[in-house]
Amino acid sequence: MTRARGSVPNRRIRLLLAVLVLMFALAFGRTVWLQGIRAEPLARLAESQHRQTVALPASRGAIYDRTGVQLAIGERATSVYADPRQVRNPRAVAIAAGQLLGRDPDDVLEELADRRRSFVFLRRKADPAAADAVRRRGLVGVGFLDEERRAYPQGSIAAHVLGYAGLDNDGLAGLEKQLDPVLAGVPGSETIVKDPFGRAVKVIRSTPEQNGRDVHLTLDQNLQANAELVLAKVLRESRAKSATAVVLDPRSGELLALAVAPTFDANRFGELAAQRTRNLTVTDTYEPGSTFKLITVGAVLSEGLATPATAYTLPYEIQVADRKIHDSHPRDTERMTVAEILSRSSNVGTVTLGQELGKRRLARWIEHFGFGRPTGIDFPGETRGIVLPAERWSDSSIGNIPIGQGIAVTPVQMAAAYAAVANRGVWVRPHLVRRIGRGPRVRGARKRLVSRDVAAKLVEMLRGVVDEGGTGTAAAVPGYTVAGKTGTASKPDERGGYSTSRYVASFVGVVPASDPRLVILVTIDEPRSAIWGGVVAAPVFADLARFALQYLEVPPDAR
Amino acid sequence: MLDYAGTGAAARRTGIRRSRSEEATSLVRQIDWVLMGAVAALVAYGLWAIAGITREDVDGDPSYFVVRQGVFAALGTAGMLVAVLVDPSLYRRFSRAIYVCTVGIMGLVFVAGSVTRGSRRWLDVGFTQFQPSEFGKLLFVLALAGFLADRRRRTGETATILRAVGLALVPIVLVFLQPDFGTALVYAAALGAVLFVAGARWLHVAALAALAALAALALLWLLPAFGIEVLKPYQSARLTAFTAPDSDPSDTTYNLNQSKLAVGAGGLRGRGVEGSTQTNLGLLPEHRTDFAFASLAEQRGFVGASILLCLYLLVLWRGVRIIPTAGDAFSAIAAGGIVVALLFQVFVNVGMTMGIAPITGIPLPFVSVGGSSMIANLVTIGVLQAIQIRSRGVPRRP
Repeated sequence: MTRARGSVPNRRIRLLLAVLVLMFALAFGRTVWLQGIRAEPLARLAESQHRQTVALPASRGAIYDRTGVQLAIGERATSVYADPRQVRNPRAVAIAAGQLLGRDPDDVLEELADRRRSFVFLRRKADPAAADAVRRRGLVGVGFLDEERRAYPQGSIAAHVLGYAGLDNDGLAGLEKQLDPVLAGVPGSETIVKDPFGRAVKVIRSTPEQNGRDVHLTLDQNLQANAELVLAKVLRESRAKSATAVVLDPRSGELLALAVAPTFDANRFGELAAQRTRNLTVTDTYEPGSTFKLITVGAVLSEGLATPATAYTLPYEIQVADRKIHDSHPRDTERMTVAEILSRSSNVGTVTLGQELGKRRLARWIEHFGFGRPTGIDFPGETRGIVLPAERWSDSSIGNIPIGQGIAVTPVQMAAAYAAVANRGVWVRPHLVRRIGRGPRVRGARKRLVSRDVAAKLVEMLRGVVDEGGTGTAAAVPGYTVAGKTGTASKPDERGGYSTSRYVASFVGVVPASDPRLVILVTIDEPRSAIWGGVVAAPVFADLARFALQYLEVPPDAR
Repeated sequence: MLDYAGTGAAARRTGIRRSRSEEATSLVRQIDWVLMGAVAALVAYGLWAIAGITREDVDGDPSYFVVRQGVFAALGTAGMLVAVLVDPSLYRRFSRAIYVCTVGIMGLVFVAGSVTRGSRRWLDVGFTQFQPSEFGKLLFVLALAGFLADRRRRTGETATILRAVGLALVPIVLVFLQPDFGTALVYAAALGAVLFVAGARWLHVAALAALAALAALALLWLLPAFGIEVLKPYQSARLTAFTAPDSDPSDTTYNLNQSKLAVGAGGLRGRGVEGSTQTNLGLLPEHRTDFAFASLAEQRGFVGASILLCLYLLVLWRGVRIIPTAGDAFSAIAAGGIVVALLFQVFVNVGMTMGIAPITGIPLPFVSVGGSSMIANLVTIGVLQAIQIRSRGVPRRP
């Protein structure tokens, strides 16, 4: 203040001014504090209180068989949840959960007692009808979420192939896992701006969800179902541990059926032990035994070392290094052609051919036929089998590898090798996915294994197996020519060496032999009734082939 | 008693005696143009702020409130010009009538007032509503200034002080009972200011301050503890909320928290009109009236809020400067009351939006939407200018 002439210099007014200025300084300081120092957290809080980012789930693509039958679909489900802080009558909620949702009311009551939580699931992905029943009770604090639940309408059919998608619709096993990137789609999101009463005012920055694409498989639901049925029967009758069947179109590499017994309900995948749900045709190996002789013979023919008519004088038993190799049934020393060696499944004959090839050439041909490396099938967890490189062969290896011992392959590898022979020497990568969404038909990679001529000769020789005097006569299908090979392999013992009681019986065949449409492989693990592939597995092949040929309306080619 | 430039000996010494014609020319010369400019800037700035704050308030008419507010500002300016021309001594002469009038319109609210949100503050006058307590602020100060100026030789006496307080308590209690606690608080502050400027003894000032503090304490804590509820529970909760803002964010302190979020979210440069979600989504209640400052701070940031505070500071400086140079005791006392009432209101309003003052429903002068407030405040500035014009022989420098 100014000291005006005569006026009292005013302490009071100065004080007044000071008090007012102080108040303003206080307000100003507070502004600095809120807008400068605390600005960021407050801005975040302001944002969060009216914005909510909601994920828009993408619906998972369905899986169809090649004819359009639904194998895996998304089903409407309703998740029921509760907010313990808002529930007014926990007892009523617990009772409803117990009566309608199959929960233990005591558990629910305990969960609801925890008031720190604001969200507990009463039942994830419940049946919409049950959820509606809960809704009708009008319980305060109980909410509902529409979700999608994976369902496998065909039950056990192709369960081993389809695998499993979990509660969050993510593929956890099998094709569900393999195809997850395709099936899952991309969830969208949107940010909802809400007014103080929680009502959505507007939606901003919305990313639309991209639904997963449907997948059409090469599997045929009917062939698959039949294969599973037949395997179940043989499993029962032979009291075997397990059995597999591969039905393959040799021309396209399309797998029409890929069956494993015992089966299980795909809807209950999550409850079962992993061992039970493995797709043994891809993930597990077996010693192929005599079915492998095709590769030895194919190699000999391709190398030009012999023709089907080339004859060899063969004793019942020969010595290879420290091992004695003999045929399955005692006989005198005989002259056998290469064709007879194959049709009568002579071990001595095949080993003789193998010796003629030598281990390096044989090893190369084994690799050439696709053993010891994955086929690249579109299924997760494929094993490459166990094939020793030539350098690691023992002296006696040449006495057992040509006849399919000391080597482990997957059923799919073996079926694909036979399919190559059936397909005029051209190997086609076996596959399960025929089409993704509206995309083009999937084509398997191709590779020539043997010449057309050798392939034709091999098929011709394999026909002898099923003919009179062969080991696989039980595989004959009326009206059709069949080419195939039996296999009976004793399983490796835990103690080393081979078991005398545990075998894998198998049969792999081509029908119609004159114009191959199907390659069918059957393996039966540890059958107890009979051990021979020709006895246990060949009839299964015949069953499957008969049904498939009829179903596919393949014209008969035999008188 | 203070000795003012225009009183007694001082006036005679300077020998200034004005004719009417002199008065007319000096009117323009003597007006405090800095104060005038500051107020004009405040009104313009307030209109600009309101334009942004209320853009989303009326569907399809983003300028609804700013146009109305502009009309009120024009009316207020007219009122201000009239007030400038009126010789303040007139108010002194009729201070009794003014007092009766003050109490009268306060009482009228109880008879004819309309209830809004549980509070009886407005009178319906045809096209609009009229809030007497806003005008009452000026009348209250003028009436008390008249009473004290008449007894300027006896302001040291306890009896004078008690009578003044007694007179003041009638309108204060009436406003308080509307209930409009905020305005009652402003009246109380104005009472303190006029007593202080009129020369009440320090002892009396201290005693009154202590009594006021006791009364507040009693209202908020003591009486409720004995089961006597003078304040409605929501009122006392709001008043004490700022001491514990996180006690119950859903209810009592909702306004305060939302307001603090708005201010903080504004940051340095503000979120702009479009991005101010607190204001636009209605998260901040009363954003165009009581919490206009928070809205402004959200939209225009620290820069915008600082400009406003600086303009108030300018008004404060020019206003306080008028007190010691006033032409007579009445003018000085009135000027003190006016300036303190106005700026105390600014502080209480701004402080409440940021949690440093109790939450009371009072408007922010020159900014909050509201006709009564805008007109009353402009008229009040007019009275202040009238006092300034008639100050005598006073240097310009404060």
